[in-house]
Amino acid sequence: MFQLFLIAFRNLGTHRRRTLLLGGAIAGVTALLVILMGLSQGMEETMLRSATTLGTGHVNVAGFYKITSGQAAPVVTAYPKILELVRKEVPELDYAVQRGRGWAKLVSEKTSAQVGVGGIDVQDEPGFRQVLQVRSGSMDDLMQPNTVLIFEKQAKRLEVKVGDIVTIAAPTMRGTNNTVDVRVAAIAADVGMMSDFNVYVPSQTLRALYQLRDDSTGAIFLYLKDLKQMSQVQAKVRQLLTDAGYIVMDNDPRAFWFKFDVVNREEWTGQKLDITNWEDEMSFITWTLKALNGLTGILTFVLLIIIGVGIMNTLWIAIRERTREIGTLRAIGMQRTRVMVMFLFEAMTLGALGTLAGALIGLVVCVSVDAAHVGVPEAAAMFIMSDRLHLVVNAGSTVGAMVFITGCTTLISLIPSFLAARLKPVTAMHHIG
Amino acid sequence: MSLKNLLSAAAVSVALLSAPVALALEPAAMVQILSVIDDRQRNGGDYKAHIYLEQKEKDKTDNVREGFVYRRDADDKLMILFSKPKTEAGKGYLRLDKNLWSYDPNVGKWERRTERERIAGTDSRRADFDESRLAEEFDPSYEGEAKLGKYTAHRLNLKVKPNIDVAYPVVKLWVDKDTNNILKREEYALSGRLMRTALYPRWKKVFSESKGADVWYPEEIRFYDEVEKANSTIVLIKSVDLRALEANLFTKAWLESKSR
Repeated sequence: MFQLFLIAFRNLGTHRRRTLLLGGAIAGVTALLVILMGLSQGMEETMLRSATTLGTGHVNVAGFYKITSGQAAPVVTAYPKILELVRKEVPELDYAVQRGRGWAKLVSEKTSAQVGVGGIDVQDEPGFRQVLQVRSGSMDDLMQPNTVLIFEKQAKRLEVKVGDIVTIAAPTMRGTNNTVDVRVAAIAADVGMMSDFNVYVPSQTLRALYQLRDDSTGAIFLYLKDLKQMSQVQAKVRQLLTDAGYIVMDNDPRAFWFKFDVVNREEWTGQKLDITNWEDEMSFITWTLKALNGLTGILTFVLLIIIGVGIMNTLWIAIRERTREIGTLRAIGMQRTRVMVMFLFEAMTLGALGTLAGALIGLVVCVSVDAAHVGVPEAAAMFIMSDRLHLVVNAGSTVGAMVFITGCTTLISLIPSFLAARLKPVTAMHHIG
Repeated sequence: MSLKNLLSAAAVSVALLSAPVALALEPAAMVQILSVIDDRQRNGGDYKAHIYLEQKEKDKTDNVREGFVYRRDADDKLMILFSKPKTEAGKGYLRLDKNLWSYDPNVGKWERRTERERIAGTDSRRADFDESRLAEEFDPSYEGEAKLGKYTAHRLNLKVKPNIDVAYPVVKLWVDKDTNNILKREEYALSGRLMRTALYPRWKKVFSESKGADVWYPEEIRFYDEVEKANSTIVLIKSVDLRALEANLFTKAWLESKSR
């Protein structure tokens, strides 16, 4: 068998131009696939990191509270008790934070914007400083009451800078209008779509605005040691809280603000908890990831068809040119299967070398682009939730791509190889070509 | 004028005449003033008003809406139905059993709303078109007299009563001394910040057979957003019809039928 491999390898060397042409094509497809996968995984990693710090935990204990059946607020009451229960019964938990949820009007002297207001205790938020890059001001100032963190785009729109006073206006849970004047304590770099609709204030400030008690919050964000256990933990928490006597809403895999219509239409009052995960809360944005993955698949499929046709055509030409050679080999006793395997080895070797070269090229491109911190247009930044392009190369995915493409090229060559093996020695030796 | 209103007016007159000029009004007199204001705007039977809403917002095109307000005060029922522009035709609000519903014929969907929602995105709210409930919801205190243009007005500071839900917990009223009509209204947030100012430049009255007395309504109301100072809304009540309305008018089916 090794002899067959040697023969195949030497044949590739004999037809250098053809080998380089096809190998280059295979390398190109592989490089493109690696780059697209890197982009997709980079997007997912960035999205996960940003989203699970700014807008959601890995698993969330959230919910709605209704004073009257027609008016829901995204509030969880008596959250310390829930948090204690979860910490006790969920060993997979790494840490947990509480996050207030509000929807208010942010008004400066020049203009206004409708924003989601997150209530945070910045000293209890280990991830916040890692995700947000503060351009001016200091995040530590958020420990002071009546302060706000806004993003660059918002600061530009509202025409404010660090130290300026803005007003947050919103109705309370009972519908009474309230306002709070806050000082801009920090301005952070934009984080895609999250930058447009979110500002952050101290939890106490948000509670004062909404006239909530100190044991009320918007949601409890649970961060797990291993993200792969998200589904199990979500189910576990759901069962845990149900057993503890809480009313838990049916699972609805959407962001919480998409649920207001349904919740407001229902007749119940009081508290209902809603157990969600980060994919639910970010479902409105992860469609871009699915679109990119779909595009990757389609593009790869089309390119593989082209490569397959090229390989088959090349092998047909090779078989025609080497008919006398095949006849000679058959005449001296080589079996049909060995002739077929020889051609298969040739295709497989070409595929393996091509994909290896392509993977290396893709790897270099991904690492270079990632290291260069290439900026992206604003429109793209909206969806990847970062203003820098981030590419991640996963060894397993890369090897999988190589194996996949090599396997495709080998399979494509089966037909011409099989037909080549079927040539009769007498016919082959008499062929004049 | 009905006997009740006559007695009310007499009580107010006695209170006013017995007090020295520029001295504070007694709490009972202030409550009586609020009761008169409320009662004037209430009708025993049905109420239909033809209104226009003009909205101005910063950096946006001004827009005007035409609509109708239907009320049945005896049952606390209210409907607001927009007729123009075409894009707004058929949209409306319906108050049923303490729930406020909005309807959009473009999607054929009813949505539950809060009582304090901005009507059609303007600075007006449901309570602005509904009967007045100042005496029920607020405790007044006297802040003195004030000149408002050519009018001399009582300045009243109203604070919401406990366990009452209103959009603005503190309201300052300028009440004309001669007519007891509201001239100006400032509405404050919980934080004490001025949120909205309303001016009532003209009042009109229509005789109601079902009530047996006049029903007053503001012919024009000007709302000014004090948080976003460039925003304002003008409400014009062009006409009021106090004849009986259809019995089944205050139903979802009736409102839906208007857009078919």
